[in-house]
This record gives sequence, C-alpha cells and structure tokens, in this order.
Amino acid sequence: MRTLSSIVRRKVVTEDGGDLGRCYDVRGELSRSGLKVKGLVIGRRGRLEHLGIGAQASASSNRVRDGDVIPWEAIVRFERDTIVVRDPWSKT
Amino acid sequence: MKIFQVALGILAAIGGFVDIGDLVFNSAAGATFGYQLLWVVVIGVIGIIVYSEMCGRIAAISKKAVFDVVRERVGFKAGLVTLIAAQVVNLMTLAAEVGGVAICLRLLSGLPYRWLILVAVFGLGAVVWITSFDWIERIFGYGGLCMLVFAVAAIKLKPDWGAVAHGFVPHLETKDTLLYFYFAVGLLGAAMTPYEVYFYSSGGIEEEWTEKDLGLNRANAIIGYGLGGFLSFALMIVGGALFLPHGIGPETLGSISLGAQVPLGEIGLLLALIGILFAVGGASIDTLFSGAYNFAQFFGWEWGRYRSPAGAPRFTLGWMVLLVLALGIVMTGVDPVQLTEYAVIFSVVALPLTYLPILLVANDRAYMGRYVNGRLANVLGGIYLVVILAVSLSAIPLMLLTNVGQG
Amino acid sequence: MSEELDIGLGVVDHQLLDSDGRRCGNVDDLAIEGEPGKQAEVVAILSGPGVWRERAGLLGRLAAWIGGGRRVRIPWDEVAGIESHVRLKKKATEYGLGRGDDRARPWIAWIPGSHR
Repeated sequence: MRTLSSIVRRKVVTEDGGDLGRCYDVRGELSRSGLKVKGLVIGRRGRLEHLGIGAQASASSNRVRDGDVIPWEAIVRFERDTIVVRDPWSKT
Repeated sequence: MKIFQVALGILAAIGGFVDIGDLVFNSAAGATFGYQLLWVVVIGVIGIIVYSEMCGRIAAISKKAVFDVVRERVGFKAGLVTLIAAQVVNLMTLAAEVGGVAICLRLLSGLPYRWLILVAVFGLGAVVWITSFDWIERIFGYGGLCMLVFAVAAIKLKPDWGAVAHGFVPHLETKDTLLYFYFAVGLLGAAMTPYEVYFYSSGGIEEEWTEKDLGLNRANAIIGYGLGGFLSFALMIVGGALFLPHGIGPETLGSISLGAQVPLGEIGLLLALIGILFAVGGASIDTLFSGAYNFAQFFGWEWGRYRSPAGAPRFTLGWMVLLVLALGIVMTGVDPVQLTEYAVIFSVVALPLTYLPILLVANDRAYMGRYVNGRLANVLGGIYLVVILAVSLSAIPLMLLTNVGQG
Repeated sequence: MSEELDIGLGVVDHQLLDSDGRRCGNVDDLAIEGEPGKQAEVVAILSGPGVWRERAGLLGRLAAWIGGGRRVRIPWDEVAGIESHVRLKKKATEYGLGRGDDRARPWIAWIPGSHR
C-alpha cells in the first residue's frame, strides 16, 4: 500500500539515470467500479504545475492538466526519493 | 419593496466597510500629505472590488470559500503556512479592533479602559451568541452610518477642492518619498483587508448563492466597497483640511474624532464616536468570524453562522478562543492604534498568499464552468497581482525605514 | 462511463460530506494499491490529523500532535460521488469521522441557546 502523498513530488528518472522531471500529480480514471490509477503526471516547472499555471485554458471541464503522463505500467520501482521508469516510454 | 431592501443594504454597507485600519491610515495620510494620496485609495477600492467579486463568484459557482480554495489549490503544506500567516494577522486585527471599541467606550463614558476591554469582549461575544446575523448587520451597519458625519465635516471644513481633485491624480510632490510610499502601502493594505474577503466569501456560501446571484455579488462588491472608499476619502480630506495645517497627528481615536468636533461641535464628536464604535465593532465581528471560518474551512469542520452553536462546536470554540486571545493581547496595554499599523502592514505582506489561489481558481474551468474570469476580470486581476506583489515585498522594508511611519 | 481526472487536484484536500451533507473532514491522503508495472487503483481515503504528519514536515507533525493524531480509513467503495466535494454513502459517525466536533460539543452545549 502506498499513499498518494508519498508518490507526488518525487523525481522521476529512467533506468539509465535520465531525468524526466518531477511527478506533481497522478492521473486517474473514475468510473462506477472505482478509481483506477493510470499514470504519473510529470513536469519540469515544479510547484507551478501543481498550482495549475502553464496548463489548462482548454475548454474541457475535466480536472486534468497538460503535462506528460507516464503510464503506471512503465514504472520499474520506487526508490527512496525517486521513481524509476522504463526507458523508452511512449509520450503519445 | 425590492428597492427598499437594496437601499437598506446600501445603508448598512456604509457603516460596515470602514474599519480601524482605514480610520488610522486615512486620517494619518491626510494629516501628513494632505490630499496627495487620494488616488491610492481609489486603487485600493478597485482592488478590493476585483478581489471580492472573484471570491463571491467562486463561492456562488463552486460552493467553496477562500480557505477551501487555498487548501485545494496549493496543498496541505503551503496551505497550512498560509493559514497560520492569515490567522496571525487576523488576531492582530481583532485585538486592534477590540481595543478600538474599548477606547470609544471610554471616550463616551469616561470609565476606566481596562474594565471597558472586558465589557467590549463580553459584549461582542454576547451579541454574536444571542443576535441573529441579519440583526447584527443591521445594528452595526446603521450605527456605523454615523460615520457619515466625517463626510459632512469634510465639506464644512471648506477644503481647497482644487487641491482635493489634484489628489486623485497620481503624483509625488514631496521630498519624503519613503514616508509617502509607506502611507501608500498602508492605505492599500487598509482598503484590501483580507478578513473582509474571507468573511464575504463565507457569507456567499451561507446565503447559498448560485449563478442567479452573480449580479447581486457584483453589486454588493461595487456598492459596498465603493461607499467604504467614499468614507475613506472623507477621512483623508478631514485630515488634510484640519490636521495638516495645525500640525496635529491623529494618533488616537480621540484626536481622529476631533475631525468632526472642530467643524460640527459636540454633536459632531458624539456622532463620530458612535460611528467609530459601531464601524469598528462590526468589523471586529467580521474579523472574529473570518478567523473561525478559516480554521473550519481548512480543516474540514462543520461551520456556519446560521448553524446552531452546538451544530458546529469547533467553529464556535474557534471564535471564542480567538476572542479570549484578543482580550489577552489588548490587556497587555498595547496601543490599539499602533497595533493597527502593524496589523495592516503584516496583512499586506500576507496578501499574495490568498490572492493568488483565488485568481487561479477564478480562471479554472473545472471549478467555474463558463463563469471563469472574462477578459476584464483577468486584466484587472493580473494588474492587481502585480500591485499586490510589489506592495507585499516593499511593506516591511518601508515600515522599518520610516520607523513605522514616524518619518 | 468513466472520466479522467488528476487525483491530487481533483480529490485530495477536498471537503468530505456525509450522507446528511454534514462536513466531516477533508481527504487528507489516498491509499493506492498495485505493484509498479501492474494495475493500480485507489483503495481508500485517509483522513484525520494523523495523516498530516507525512504531508507537511515539521509543521505537519506539530499540527498532527495538536489535533490528536487520529487516522480514519474510508474504503473507496464508500464514495457516493465526486463533485465540488467528496460525498460519502453513510453518516459520518459510521466511519468514525467528525469525532472532533462530537468531542467539542460538550464544551458548548451547556451554554443556554446553543441548540437554536
């Protein structure tokens, strides 16, 4: 069991050490059967992204922000301060 | 009948939108710089109108008050820091207002100050406990109407109206630049008091505003704060017309009331003291509730002035504890007018912390749907963000460099 | 019918309402189950002062201590809906929520007029 707060704000790196930025939120999918975790929302602008700056302005009323999403399946392991993901992971 | 209700609302607003910060800074600015800073009051009034309109709209559409928004938007850690900063400022303001009420009672009755502090605190607590909020707003609003005596006094003092008009144009005609900017910062801080916004947005939720009330929200903000601005002009004009030529520094509420007594005699003094008593007393209730609202909203407690006290126990205990703490502060003998200056300056420093999340949420379609900020609101909102940041960063340095306005 | 949302922004730190519409705390954190690389989902809401410890460093630990340190775990199945607040299916007391208000009530209830 992991808490959301323990995932958010960690640095995200690839297996060979490449820096992908920080995870500032978790993308989920809400349905009648529950809230599934789709992936990590990463960005390089740090705190600004969590505030919602530099995102949005889309006509959608979804509670989602722009920013790359790394699928949960691409996560290799959680280390003490970082999240290691497979490389390459698809950006589309 | 609707017109009558609106008129009543306006009348109550006049009394309700001037607090001890406005009294102190507007009078002192007039006494020091004459009419030169009137333009700053205009900027402050527009600023608080922009800020509260956004908060009111957020309350009506997303059903969230300021500290709901702060926590959701900046997270628990930054939100907690914001909460602590806001509550420290709130408490300072509350203590200054309670002290102000006690001073007015002393000037009116001649009884000893220390006893009157207790009277003020228990009186306010009893009023809040017993009286319904509609009646509280009426009593303090109409009582505060007596503040109009300062408008009459301003006219009676026959100021140089040309110079007054000139004061609405931004200009700098003094060598005392630092002191000028200190007062500018203080006037903006006094006009854009955060607790008013917390109170206003929580009130919108309590009144269960919806999109139908957006017009009412806008009218409330413009008329209410506009009238407060009008009274602030009057205070500054009195300062410039009476205090400046005689070299009087309005350092106490008593000397501020001189502004009405000199042109209008004893009746002027009486009306001024009653007006100040009710305006500051009403403001202290707003501040008290703002403090309780902030805690409750941040931590998710039940809250509301329309709930029975037992229905919202932590909220109720919250305002009681704040009142007791304010009592303690005033009992130390600190000068409420001095405390007011510090409270206003510190509230300016903390202002960006709550303004920024509000501006962001007002632009967020997930919260606001199609009622997000239009272009005007965003232009104004953005300008004021810059103004607020600039003022917030310069407040403490100016305070130190001018020795808290002593020059 | 499903909807994408950012969980930190759309769920965490939002107000909890019980089936009566009573405010009973916030979503202070979420419990996620699922190994990295496999399916993961949110299994529970975590609420209460004890949860603040992990969220705000020293200040959070202090606040948790002042608040009494309780943690409440609400299984995600109990969520009735997520709109501007997070609505739960049952009453607050059934989850152990709102205890702070229940404990504070005796301090107020003895004063005449507190039940208006």
